[in-house]
Amino acid sequence: MTLDDDVKKIFLDTFPTLSESDFQWSKTQKEYENWDSFAQLNIITLAEAKFEITFSDDEIDSISSAKNLLDCIKSHV
Amino acid sequence: MNTVADFLNNSYRVHPDKIAVIDNDSKLTYSKLNQGVNEFSSFLNKFPKNSVVSLLFDNTHEFVISYLGVINSGCIAHLIPTGISQKNLMDQISSAKPKLVLSSANHFSKISEMESKSIEKLRFSEVGKTNSEERKPNPTDYAYLIYTSGTTSSPKGVPITHSNCVFTTKNIVKTLQYSSNDIDILPLPLSHSFGLGCLHTSLYVGSTIVLHQSMDIPQILNSIKKHNASTLAAVPSTLSKIVSNNLEDTSNSLSKLRLIITNSTFFPPETIQKLKKILNDGKVATYYGLTEASRSTFMIFDSTEKIESVGKPSDGISLKLVSNNDESPTGEIWIKGKNVIEKYWNEEYKENFNDGWLKTGDLGRVDDDGHLYILGRVDDLINISGEKVYPQEIERAVMVLSGIDDVVAVPMKHKVFGEVVKLLVKKSVKSDVSKTDILTHCIKNLERFKVPAKIEFVEDFPRTDYGKIKRFMLK
Repeated sequence: MTLDDDVKKIFLDTFPTLSESDFQWSKTQKEYENWDSFAQLNIITLAEAKFEITFSDDEIDSISSAKNLLDCIKSHV
Repeated sequence: MNTVADFLNNSYRVHPDKIAVIDNDSKLTYSKLNQGVNEFSSFLNKFPKNSVVSLLFDNTHEFVISYLGVINSGCIAHLIPTGISQKNLMDQISSAKPKLVLSSANHFSKISEMESKSIEKLRFSEVGKTNSEERKPNPTDYAYLIYTSGTTSSPKGVPITHSNCVFTTKNIVKTLQYSSNDIDILPLPLSHSFGLGCLHTSLYVGSTIVLHQSMDIPQILNSIKKHNASTLAAVPSTLSKIVSNNLEDTSNSLSKLRLIITNSTFFPPETIQKLKKILNDGKVATYYGLTEASRSTFMIFDSTEKIESVGKPSDGISLKLVSNNDESPTGEIWIKGKNVIEKYWNEEYKENFNDGWLKTGDLGRVDDDGHLYILGRVDDLINISGEKVYPQEIERAVMVLSGIDDVVAVPMKHKVFGEVVKLLVKKSVKSDVSKTDILTHCIKNLERFKVPAKIEFVEDFPRTDYGKIKRFMLK
Protein backbone atom coordinates (compact mmCIF):
# COMPACT_ATOMS: atom_id res chain seq x y z
CA MET A 1 0.00 0.00 0.00
CA THR A 2 1.16 3.54 -0.71
CA LEU A 3 1.15 6.32 1.85
CA ASP A 4 -1.90 7.77 0.10
CA ASP A 5 -3.72 4.45 0.43
CA ASP A 6 -2.87 4.26 4.12
CA VAL A 7 -4.22 7.74 4.84
CA LYS A 8 -7.34 7.04 2.81
CA LYS A 9 -7.89 3.86 4.82
CA ILE A 10 -7.61 5.82 8.08
CA PHE A 11 -10.52 7.99 6.93
CA LEU A 12 -12.59 5.03 5.73
CA ASP A 13 -11.98 3.24 9.04
CA THR A 14 -12.80 6.31 11.12
CA PHE A 15 -15.98 7.10 9.20
CA PRO A 16 -17.63 3.72 8.42
CA THR A 17 -20.43 5.45 6.47
CA LEU A 18 -17.93 7.12 4.15
CA SER A 19 -17.70 5.30 0.80
CA GLU A 20 -14.61 5.24 -1.38
CA SER A 21 -16.41 7.25 -4.04
CA ASP A 22 -17.26 9.99 -1.52
CA PHE A 23 -13.72 10.29 -0.27
CA GLN A 24 -12.00 13.53 -1.31
CA TRP A 25 -8.57 14.76 -0.25
CA SER A 26 -9.69 18.35 0.02
CA LYS A 27 -13.01 17.69 1.81
CA THR A 28 -12.81 19.60 5.08
CA GLN A 29 -13.91 18.74 8.60
CA LYS A 30 -17.01 20.93 8.33
CA GLU A 31 -18.19 18.96 5.28
CA TYR A 32 -18.20 15.69 7.23
CA GLU A 33 -21.38 14.90 9.15
CA ASN A 34 -19.65 13.27 12.07
CA TRP A 35 -16.13 14.66 12.25
CA ASP A 36 -16.35 15.87 15.82
CA SER A 37 -13.57 16.26 18.39
CA PHE A 38 -13.64 12.53 19.24
CA ALA A 39 -13.44 11.55 15.56
CA GLN A 40 -10.46 13.92 15.32
CA LEU A 41 -8.87 12.03 18.23
CA ASN A 42 -9.56 8.69 16.49
CA ILE A 43 -7.91 9.91 13.26
CA ILE A 44 -4.85 11.14 15.12
CA THR A 45 -4.55 7.96 17.18
CA LEU A 46 -4.89 5.73 14.11
CA ALA A 47 -2.29 7.73 12.18
CA GLU A 48 0.15 7.80 15.09
CA ALA A 49 -0.23 4.04 15.59
CA LYS A 50 0.05 3.26 11.88
CA PHE A 51 3.17 5.33 11.23
CA GLU A 52 4.66 5.16 14.73
CA ILE A 53 4.88 8.93 14.98
CA THR A 54 3.67 11.55 17.46
CA PHE A 55 2.00 14.74 16.29
CA SER A 56 2.56 18.05 18.07
CA ASP A 57 -0.44 19.99 19.44
CA ASP A 58 -0.12 22.49 16.57
CA GLU A 59 -0.15 19.70 14.00
CA ILE A 60 -3.20 18.14 15.59
CA ASP A 61 -5.03 21.49 15.49
CA SER A 62 -4.09 21.97 11.82
CA ILE A 63 -5.53 18.69 10.58
CA SER A 64 -8.90 19.42 9.04
CA SER A 65 -8.79 17.37 5.85
CA ALA A 66 -7.29 14.16 4.51
CA LYS A 67 -4.75 16.26 2.62
CA ASN A 68 -3.69 18.02 5.85
CA LEU A 69 -3.15 14.66 7.49
CA LEU A 70 -1.15 13.35 4.53
CA ASP A 71 1.10 16.43 4.60
CA CYS A 72 1.64 16.13 8.35
CA ILE A 73 2.56 12.46 8.05
CA LYS A 74 4.94 13.20 5.15
CA SER A 75 6.80 15.66 7.36
CA HIS A 76 7.45 12.86 9.86
CA VAL A 77 8.31 9.86 7.68
CA MET B 1 -23.39 -28.10 62.24
CA ASN B 2 -22.19 -24.87 63.79
CA THR B 3 -18.47 -24.76 63.01
CA VAL B 4 -16.16 -25.89 60.22
CA ALA B 5 -14.80 -28.53 62.61
CA ASP B 6 -18.29 -30.09 62.64
CA PHE B 7 -18.13 -30.67 58.86
CA LEU B 8 -15.39 -33.29 59.19
CA ASN B 9 -16.73 -34.73 62.45
CA ASN B 10 -20.10 -35.34 60.87
CA SER B 11 -18.84 -36.83 57.59
CA TYR B 12 -16.37 -39.03 59.49
CA ARG B 13 -19.20 -40.45 61.61
CA VAL B 14 -21.46 -41.11 58.60
CA HIS B 15 -18.91 -42.75 56.27
CA PRO B 16 -15.51 -43.27 57.87
CA ASP B 17 -14.15 -45.50 55.10
CA LYS B 18 -15.05 -43.26 52.21
CA ILE B 19 -12.25 -41.43 50.35
CA ALA B 20 -12.27 -37.80 51.45
CA VAL B 21 -9.22 -36.36 49.68
CA ILE B 22 -7.19 -37.43 46.68
CA ASP B 23 -3.98 -35.71 45.69
CA ASN B 24 -1.75 -37.31 43.08
CA ASP B 25 -1.64 -40.98 44.06
CA SER B 26 -2.40 -40.35 47.72
CA LYS B 27 -5.89 -41.13 49.01
CA LEU B 28 -7.17 -40.27 52.47
CA THR B 29 -10.35 -41.74 53.94
CA TYR B 30 -12.52 -39.66 56.29
CA SER B 31 -11.29 -41.89 59.10
CA LYS B 32 -7.61 -41.29 58.33
CA LEU B 33 -8.25 -37.60 57.78
CA ASN B 34 -10.03 -37.33 61.11
CA GLN B 35 -7.19 -39.15 62.86
CA GLY B 36 -4.56 -36.88 61.26
CA VAL B 37 -6.52 -33.76 62.15
CA ASN B 38 -6.99 -34.80 65.78
CA GLU B 39 -3.29 -35.57 66.18
CA PHE B 40 -2.41 -32.29 64.58
CA SER B 41 -4.76 -30.23 66.72
CA SER B 42 -3.47 -31.91 69.89
CA PHE B 43 -0.08 -30.40 69.09
CA LEU B 44 -1.58 -26.94 68.63
CA ASN B 45 -3.35 -26.95 71.96
CA LYS B 46 -0.15 -25.65 73.54
CA PHE B 47 -1.04 -22.27 72.01
CA PRO B 48 -3.84 -20.15 73.51
CA LYS B 49 -7.23 -20.45 71.82
CA ASN B 50 -7.69 -18.05 68.87
CA SER B 51 -3.94 -17.93 68.21
CA VAL B 52 -3.01 -17.44 64.57
CA VAL B 53 -1.22 -20.28 62.79
CA SER B 54 0.11 -19.42 59.34
CA LEU B 55 0.03 -22.12 56.67
CA LEU B 56 2.10 -22.23 53.49
CA PHE B 57 1.18 -25.31 51.47
CA ASP B 58 0.37 -26.45 47.96
CA ASN B 59 -2.91 -28.24 47.29
CA THR B 60 -2.10 -31.44 49.15
CA HIS B 61 -3.58 -33.58 51.91
CA GLU B 62 -0.95 -31.93 54.16
CA PHE B 63 -2.80 -28.64 53.66
CA VAL B 64 -6.15 -30.24 54.48
CA ILE B 65 -4.85 -31.90 57.67
CA SER B 66 -3.03 -28.74 58.81
CA TYR B 67 -5.95 -26.44 58.05
CA LEU B 68 -8.53 -28.62 59.78
CA GLY B 69 -6.11 -29.24 62.63
CA VAL B 70 -5.82 -25.51 63.23
CA ILE B 71 -9.60 -25.13 62.98
CA ASN B 72 -10.21 -28.08 65.31
CA SER B 73 -7.92 -26.65 67.98
CA GLY B 74 -9.83 -23.36 68.12
CA CYS B 75 -6.97 -21.48 66.47
CA ILE B 76 -7.15 -19.25 63.37
CA ALA B 77 -5.67 -20.54 60.10
CA HIS B 78 -3.83 -17.81 58.21
CA LEU B 79 -3.67 -19.03 54.60
CA ILE B 80 -0.70 -17.92 52.52
CA PRO B 81 -0.56 -18.39 48.74
CA THR B 82 2.51 -20.41 47.75
CA GLY B 83 3.46 -17.94 45.04
CA ILE B 84 3.77 -15.11 47.55
CA SER B 85 6.71 -12.73 47.28
CA GLN B 86 9.07 -12.53 50.24
CA LYS B 87 8.03 -8.92 50.89
CA ASN B 88 4.32 -9.74 50.92
CA LEU B 89 5.00 -12.76 53.12
CA MET B 90 6.78 -10.55 55.65
CA ASP B 91 3.98 -7.96 55.46
CA GLN B 92 1.33 -10.63 56.10
CA ILE B 93 3.26 -12.20 58.97
CA SER B 94 3.82 -8.80 60.50
CA SER B 95 0.08 -8.06 60.32
CA ALA B 96 -1.26 -11.51 61.28
CA LYS B 97 1.18 -12.04 64.19
CA PRO B 98 1.09 -15.86 64.18
CA LYS B 99 2.39 -18.04 67.01
CA LEU B 100 3.44 -20.67 64.49
CA VAL B 101 4.25 -20.70 60.79
CA LEU B 102 3.94 -24.10 59.22
CA SER B 103 4.79 -25.20 55.72
CA SER B 104 5.36 -28.18 53.49
CA ALA B 105 9.01 -29.19 53.10
CA ASN B 106 9.30 -27.63 49.63
CA HIS B 107 8.29 -24.16 50.88
CA PHE B 108 10.14 -24.19 54.21
CA SER B 109 13.06 -22.10 52.93
CA LYS B 110 10.68 -19.15 52.51
CA ILE B 111 9.72 -19.12 56.18
CA SER B 112 13.07 -20.19 57.60
CA GLU B 113 14.55 -16.88 56.41
CA MET B 114 12.20 -14.89 58.62
CA GLU B 115 13.96 -13.19 61.50
CA SER B 116 11.53 -13.49 64.35
CA LYS B 117 12.34 -15.19 67.60
CA SER B 118 8.76 -15.08 68.88
CA ILE B 119 7.39 -17.16 65.97
CA GLU B 120 7.87 -20.90 65.84
CA LYS B 121 8.60 -22.27 62.36
CA LEU B 122 8.01 -25.90 61.47
CA ARG B 123 7.70 -28.28 58.58
CA PHE B 124 4.54 -30.39 58.42
CA SER B 125 6.57 -33.54 59.18
CA GLU B 126 7.84 -31.99 62.42
CA VAL B 127 4.38 -31.77 63.99
CA GLY B 128 3.71 -34.68 66.32
CA LYS B 129 0.86 -35.90 68.47
CA THR B 130 0.80 -34.68 72.07
CA ASN B 131 -1.42 -35.50 74.98
CA SER B 132 -3.47 -32.44 75.65
CA GLU B 133 -7.05 -31.61 76.48
CA GLU B 134 -9.44 -31.52 73.56
CA ARG B 135 -10.52 -28.02 72.56
CA LYS B 136 -13.19 -26.92 70.12
CA PRO B 137 -13.96 -23.66 68.36
CA ASN B 138 -17.11 -21.60 68.93
CA PRO B 139 -19.32 -20.40 66.05
CA THR B 140 -18.33 -16.78 66.63
CA ASP B 141 -14.58 -17.54 66.62
CA TYR B 142 -12.51 -16.75 63.57
CA ALA B 143 -11.85 -19.84 61.46
CA TYR B 144 -9.38 -18.44 58.97
CA LEU B 145 -7.65 -15.31 57.79
CA ILE B 146 -6.94 -14.52 54.14
CA TYR B 147 -5.29 -11.40 52.79
CA THR B 148 -6.97 -10.00 49.70
CA SER B 149 -4.86 -10.23 46.59
CA GLY B 150 -4.44 -6.48 46.27
CA THR B 151 -5.70 -6.04 42.72
CA THR B 152 -7.31 -2.73 43.62
CA SER B 153 -5.37 -1.53 46.65
CA SER B 154 -3.04 -2.72 49.37
CA PRO B 155 -3.89 -6.22 50.69
CA LYS B 156 -6.49 -6.31 53.46
CA GLY B 157 -6.66 -9.01 56.13
CA VAL B 158 -10.06 -10.70 55.95
CA PRO B 159 -10.97 -12.78 59.04
CA ILE B 160 -13.84 -15.23 58.50
CA THR B 161 -15.84 -16.62 61.42
CA HIS B 162 -17.13 -20.17 61.65
CA SER B 163 -20.64 -18.73 61.39
CA ASN B 164 -19.71 -17.00 58.11
CA CYS B 165 -18.36 -20.31 56.75
CA VAL B 166 -21.30 -22.43 57.87
CA PHE B 167 -23.80 -19.99 56.36
CA THR B 168 -21.92 -19.78 53.06
CA THR B 169 -21.38 -23.53 52.80
CA LYS B 170 -25.06 -24.26 53.38
CA ASN B 171 -25.90 -21.73 50.67
CA ILE B 172 -23.52 -23.40 48.20
CA VAL B 173 -24.85 -26.89 48.96
CA LYS B 174 -28.48 -25.82 48.65
CA THR B 175 -28.07 -23.75 45.49
CA LEU B 176 -25.75 -26.09 43.59
CA GLN B 177 -27.17 -29.32 45.06
CA TYR B 178 -23.92 -30.86 46.23
CA SER B 179 -24.24 -34.32 47.79
CA SER B 180 -22.12 -37.12 49.21
CA ASN B 181 -22.27 -38.78 45.78
CA ASP B 182 -20.16 -36.04 44.24
CA ILE B 183 -16.55 -36.36 43.21
CA ASP B 184 -15.17 -32.84 42.96
CA ILE B 185 -12.19 -31.81 40.83
CA LEU B 186 -10.37 -28.80 42.27
CA PRO B 187 -7.59 -27.13 40.27
CA LEU B 188 -7.79 -24.02 42.46
CA PRO B 189 -5.53 -22.95 45.33
CA LEU B 190 -6.92 -23.86 48.73
CA SER B 191 -5.35 -20.68 50.07
CA HIS B 192 -7.96 -18.73 48.11
CA SER B 193 -11.59 -18.23 49.12
CA PHE B 194 -12.96 -19.98 46.00
CA GLY B 195 -10.88 -23.13 46.44
CA LEU B 196 -11.34 -23.22 50.20
CA GLY B 197 -15.12 -22.88 49.83
CA CYS B 198 -15.06 -25.96 47.60
CA LEU B 199 -13.18 -27.91 50.28
CA HIS B 200 -15.72 -26.82 52.92
CA THR B 201 -18.56 -27.94 50.65
CA SER B 202 -17.00 -31.34 50.04
CA LEU B 203 -16.41 -31.92 53.76
CA TYR B 204 -19.92 -30.70 54.62
CA VAL B 205 -21.69 -33.18 52.34
CA GLY B 206 -19.11 -35.94 52.71
CA SER B 207 -18.08 -36.15 49.06
CA THR B 208 -14.62 -36.82 47.59
CA ILE B 209 -12.38 -33.94 46.56
CA VAL B 210 -9.56 -34.38 44.04
CA LEU B 211 -6.86 -31.76 44.52
CA HIS B 212 -4.76 -30.44 41.64
CA GLN B 213 -1.61 -28.43 42.13
CA SER B 214 -1.89 -26.57 38.84
CA MET B 215 -4.37 -25.64 36.14
CA ASP B 216 -2.79 -28.00 33.59
CA ILE B 217 -5.59 -28.71 31.12
CA PRO B 218 -4.68 -32.29 30.05
CA GLN B 219 -4.23 -33.23 33.72
CA ILE B 220 -7.63 -31.81 34.63
CA LEU B 221 -9.34 -33.66 31.76
CA ASN B 222 -7.57 -36.91 32.62
CA SER B 223 -8.51 -36.53 36.25
CA ILE B 224 -12.20 -36.00 35.44
CA LYS B 225 -12.19 -39.24 33.47
CA LYS B 226 -10.02 -41.24 35.84
CA HIS B 227 -12.08 -40.41 38.91
CA ASN B 228 -15.46 -40.38 37.14
CA ALA B 229 -15.92 -36.88 38.54
CA SER B 230 -19.24 -35.09 38.83
CA THR B 231 -18.18 -31.47 39.44
CA LEU B 232 -15.41 -29.14 38.34
CA ALA B 233 -14.55 -25.78 39.91
CA ALA B 234 -12.25 -23.55 37.88
CA VAL B 235 -11.63 -19.93 37.02
CA PRO B 236 -12.99 -18.61 33.68
CA SER B 237 -9.56 -18.49 32.00
CA THR B 238 -9.06 -22.22 32.67
CA LEU B 239 -12.54 -23.00 31.32
CA SER B 240 -11.95 -20.86 28.22
CA LYS B 241 -8.71 -22.73 27.56
CA ILE B 242 -10.48 -26.07 28.04
CA VAL B 243 -13.17 -25.30 25.47
CA SER B 244 -10.70 -23.88 22.96
CA ASN B 245 -8.60 -27.01 23.40
CA ASN B 246 -8.69 -29.41 20.47
CA LEU B 247 -7.84 -32.48 22.49
CA GLU B 248 -10.01 -35.31 21.29
CA ASP B 249 -11.26 -36.29 24.68
CA THR B 250 -12.26 -32.81 25.89
CA SER B 251 -15.93 -33.47 25.25
CA ASN B 252 -15.76 -37.02 26.55
CA SER B 253 -14.22 -35.86 29.78
CA LEU B 254 -16.60 -32.99 30.43
CA SER B 255 -19.86 -34.41 29.13
CA LYS B 256 -20.65 -36.46 32.23
CA LEU B 257 -20.12 -33.65 34.73
CA ARG B 258 -23.26 -32.53 36.51
CA LEU B 259 -21.80 -29.12 37.40
CA ILE B 260 -19.11 -26.69 36.34
CA ILE B 261 -18.79 -23.80 38.76
CA THR B 262 -16.70 -20.70 38.26
CA ASN B 263 -16.41 -17.27 39.81
CA SER B 264 -15.89 -14.04 38.09
CA THR B 265 -17.06 -10.56 37.45
CA PHE B 266 -16.78 -11.58 33.80
CA PHE B 267 -17.37 -15.04 32.36
CA PRO B 268 -17.05 -14.90 28.55
CA PRO B 269 -20.49 -15.74 27.06
CA GLU B 270 -18.91 -17.80 24.27
CA THR B 271 -17.24 -20.01 26.90
CA ILE B 272 -20.59 -20.53 28.65
CA GLN B 273 -22.24 -21.46 25.35
CA LYS B 274 -19.51 -23.95 24.46
CA LEU B 275 -19.60 -25.56 27.90
CA LYS B 276 -23.37 -25.90 27.77
CA LYS B 277 -23.09 -27.64 24.40
CA ILE B 278 -20.56 -30.13 25.76
CA LEU B 279 -22.40 -30.98 28.97
CA ASN B 280 -25.15 -33.56 28.57
CA ASP B 281 -27.37 -32.79 31.54
CA GLY B 282 -24.92 -30.78 33.54
CA LYS B 283 -25.18 -27.16 34.58
CA VAL B 284 -22.80 -24.23 34.25
CA ALA B 285 -22.86 -21.76 37.12
CA THR B 286 -21.02 -18.77 38.46
CA TYR B 287 -21.16 -16.69 41.58
CA TYR B 288 -20.25 -13.22 42.74
CA GLY B 289 -18.65 -12.53 46.05
CA LEU B 290 -15.56 -11.08 47.59
CA THR B 291 -13.51 -12.89 50.22
CA GLU B 292 -15.25 -10.47 52.61
CA ALA B 293 -18.72 -11.57 51.42
CA SER B 294 -18.34 -15.01 49.96
CA ARG B 295 -20.88 -16.33 47.43
CA SER B 296 -23.28 -13.41 47.65
CA THR B 297 -25.06 -14.23 44.38
CA PHE B 298 -25.35 -17.34 42.24
CA MET B 299 -26.15 -17.67 38.56
CA ILE B 300 -27.05 -20.97 36.95
CA PHE B 301 -27.03 -20.62 33.18
CA ASP B 302 -30.21 -22.53 32.32
CA SER B 303 -30.81 -20.57 29.14
CA THR B 304 -29.05 -18.06 26.94
CA GLU B 305 -30.83 -15.22 28.68
CA LYS B 306 -28.98 -12.95 31.10
CA ILE B 307 -25.75 -14.66 30.19
CA GLU B 308 -23.67 -11.71 31.41
CA SER B 309 -25.34 -11.64 34.84
CA VAL B 310 -23.79 -12.98 38.04
CA GLY B 311 -27.27 -13.90 39.29
CA LYS B 312 -29.45 -13.07 42.24
CA PRO B 313 -28.59 -12.73 45.93
CA SER B 314 -28.52 -15.98 47.88
CA ASP B 315 -31.09 -16.64 50.61
CA GLY B 316 -30.46 -14.44 53.65
CA ILE B 317 -28.25 -11.99 51.77
CA SER B 318 -29.30 -8.41 51.00
CA LEU B 319 -27.80 -6.34 48.28
CA LYS B 320 -28.28 -2.70 47.29
CA LEU B 321 -26.72 -0.30 44.83
CA VAL B 322 -25.66 3.10 46.11
CA SER B 323 -24.80 6.20 44.15
CA ASN B 324 -24.18 9.57 45.81
CA ASN B 325 -25.36 8.13 49.15
CA ASP B 326 -28.75 7.09 47.73
CA GLU B 327 -30.05 3.78 46.46
CA SER B 328 -29.90 3.72 42.70
CA PRO B 329 -30.48 1.28 39.79
CA THR B 330 -26.76 1.57 39.05
CA GLY B 331 -24.10 2.15 41.66
CA GLU B 332 -21.66 0.70 44.17
CA ILE B 333 -22.70 -2.76 45.39
CA TRP B 334 -23.34 -2.93 49.13
CA ILE B 335 -23.89 -6.35 50.76
CA LYS B 336 -25.37 -7.39 54.09
CA GLY B 337 -25.79 -10.94 55.41
CA LYS B 338 -24.34 -13.69 57.56
CA ASN B 339 -21.67 -14.30 54.93
CA VAL B 340 -20.30 -10.77 55.39
CA ILE B 341 -17.41 -10.05 57.75
CA GLU B 342 -17.97 -7.58 60.57
CA LYS B 343 -14.53 -6.02 60.31
CA TYR B 344 -11.12 -6.34 58.72
CA TRP B 345 -8.15 -7.74 60.58
CA ASN B 346 -6.69 -5.28 63.08
CA GLU B 347 -9.90 -3.28 62.61
CA GLU B 348 -8.49 -1.51 59.54
CA TYR B 349 -10.59 0.03 56.74
CA LYS B 350 -13.57 0.86 58.97
CA GLU B 351 -14.78 3.21 56.24
CA ASN B 352 -15.72 0.16 54.13
CA PHE B 353 -18.65 -0.60 56.45
CA ASN B 354 -21.91 1.26 57.00
CA ASP B 355 -24.54 0.02 59.44
CA GLY B 356 -23.73 -3.64 58.77
CA TRP B 357 -23.39 -3.14 55.01
CA LEU B 358 -20.09 -3.92 53.30
CA LYS B 359 -19.21 -1.39 50.60
CA THR B 360 -17.64 -3.62 47.97
CA GLY B 361 -16.11 -0.99 45.70
CA ASP B 362 -17.68 -2.88 42.78
CA LEU B 363 -20.11 -1.14 40.46
CA GLY B 364 -23.23 -2.95 39.37
CA ARG B 365 -26.70 -2.70 37.97
CA VAL B 366 -29.79 -4.78 38.69
CA ASP B 367 -32.40 -5.57 36.05
CA ASP B 368 -36.16 -5.78 36.57
CA ASP B 369 -35.91 -9.44 37.62
CA GLY B 370 -33.32 -8.68 40.26
CA HIS B 371 -30.34 -10.08 38.34
CA LEU B 372 -27.05 -8.39 39.13
CA TYR B 373 -24.57 -7.30 36.46
CA ILE B 374 -21.05 -6.24 37.38
CA LEU B 375 -19.89 -3.11 35.60
CA GLY B 376 -16.43 -2.61 37.07
CA ARG B 377 -14.78 -0.95 40.03
CA VAL B 378 -15.70 2.44 41.48
CA ASP B 379 -12.04 3.50 41.46
CA ASP B 380 -11.46 2.39 37.88
CA LEU B 381 -14.02 4.60 36.12
CA ILE B 382 -12.57 6.76 33.38
CA ASN B 383 -14.09 10.23 33.16
CA ILE B 384 -14.07 11.45 29.55
CA SER B 385 -15.61 14.91 29.29
CA GLY B 386 -18.04 13.98 32.05
CA GLU B 387 -18.93 10.62 30.48
CA LYS B 388 -18.16 7.77 32.90
CA VAL B 389 -16.58 4.86 31.08
CA TYR B 390 -16.16 1.38 32.53
CA PRO B 391 -12.74 0.03 31.50
CA GLN B 392 -14.15 -3.50 31.48
CA GLU B 393 -16.45 -2.59 28.60
CA ILE B 394 -13.47 -1.61 26.47
CA GLU B 395 -11.43 -4.60 27.61
CA ARG B 396 -14.22 -7.05 26.77
CA ALA B 397 -14.60 -5.52 23.32
CA VAL B 398 -10.87 -5.86 22.62
CA MET B 399 -10.53 -9.37 24.08
CA VAL B 400 -12.80 -10.63 21.29
CA LEU B 401 -9.85 -10.16 18.90
CA SER B 402 -7.59 -13.16 18.53
CA GLY B 403 -3.92 -12.90 19.44
CA ILE B 404 -4.46 -11.04 22.71
CA ASP B 405 -3.76 -12.58 26.11
CA ASP B 406 -4.66 -9.69 28.40
CA VAL B 407 -5.76 -6.11 28.12
CA VAL B 408 -6.21 -3.31 30.61
CA ALA B 409 -7.83 0.07 29.96
CA VAL B 410 -6.67 2.92 32.20
CA PRO B 411 -7.29 6.67 32.26
CA MET B 412 -4.77 9.00 30.62
CA LYS B 413 -4.77 12.76 31.19
CA HIS B 414 -5.90 14.80 28.18
CA LYS B 415 -5.86 18.58 27.77
CA VAL B 416 -9.28 18.73 26.06
CA PHE B 417 -11.28 15.82 27.47
CA GLY B 418 -9.79 15.64 30.97
CA GLU B 419 -9.19 11.93 30.61
CA VAL B 420 -9.08 9.54 27.67
CA VAL B 421 -8.57 5.80 27.40
CA LYS B 422 -5.12 4.31 27.29
CA LEU B 423 -4.98 0.61 26.45
CA LEU B 424 -2.25 -1.73 27.63
CA VAL B 425 -2.15 -4.95 25.65
CA LYS B 426 -0.30 -8.20 26.21
CA LYS B 427 -0.17 -10.06 22.92
CA SER B 428 -0.16 -13.83 22.64
CA VAL B 429 3.01 -15.57 21.54
CA LYS B 430 3.45 -15.23 17.77
CA SER B 431 0.45 -12.88 17.56
CA ASP B 432 0.57 -10.45 14.63
CA VAL B 433 -2.26 -8.22 15.84
CA SER B 434 -1.35 -4.56 15.31
CA LYS B 435 -2.34 -1.35 17.07
CA THR B 436 -4.31 -0.30 14.00
CA ASP B 437 -6.18 -3.64 14.03
CA ILE B 438 -7.21 -2.94 17.62
CA LEU B 439 -8.16 0.68 16.95
CA THR B 440 -10.17 -0.18 13.86
CA HIS B 441 -12.00 -2.87 15.82
CA CYS B 442 -12.71 -0.39 18.64
CA ILE B 443 -14.04 2.23 16.21
CA LYS B 444 -16.44 -0.36 14.82
CA ASN B 445 -17.57 -1.67 18.20
CA LEU B 446 -17.43 1.20 20.68
CA GLU B 447 -18.77 4.73 20.92
CA ARG B 448 -16.22 7.24 19.65
CA PHE B 449 -15.26 8.64 23.03
CA LYS B 450 -14.45 5.13 24.32
CA VAL B 451 -11.95 4.40 21.56
CA PRO B 452 -8.42 4.33 23.06
CA ALA B 453 -6.30 7.42 22.40
CA LYS B 454 -3.15 5.43 23.00
CA ILE B 455 -2.19 1.77 22.83
CA GLU B 456 0.91 0.25 24.33
CA PHE B 457 2.06 -3.34 23.95
CA VAL B 458 3.47 -4.73 27.18
CA GLU B 459 5.42 -7.89 28.01
CA ASP B 460 3.22 -8.56 31.03
CA PHE B 461 1.39 -6.80 33.84
CA PRO B 462 2.31 -6.39 37.50
CA ARG B 463 0.46 -9.20 39.22
CA THR B 464 -0.56 -10.29 42.68
CA ASP B 465 0.60 -13.50 44.29
CA TYR B 466 -2.56 -15.07 42.87
CA GLY B 467 -1.67 -13.95 39.34
CA LYS B 468 -4.31 -11.23 39.12
CA ILE B 469 -3.36 -7.95 37.44
CA LYS B 470 -2.60 -5.09 39.85
CA ARG B 471 -4.70 -2.56 38.00
CA PHE B 472 -4.08 0.26 40.43
CA MET B 473 -0.35 0.15 39.62
CA LEU B 474 -1.04 0.86 35.95
CA LYS B 475 -2.77 4.21 36.34
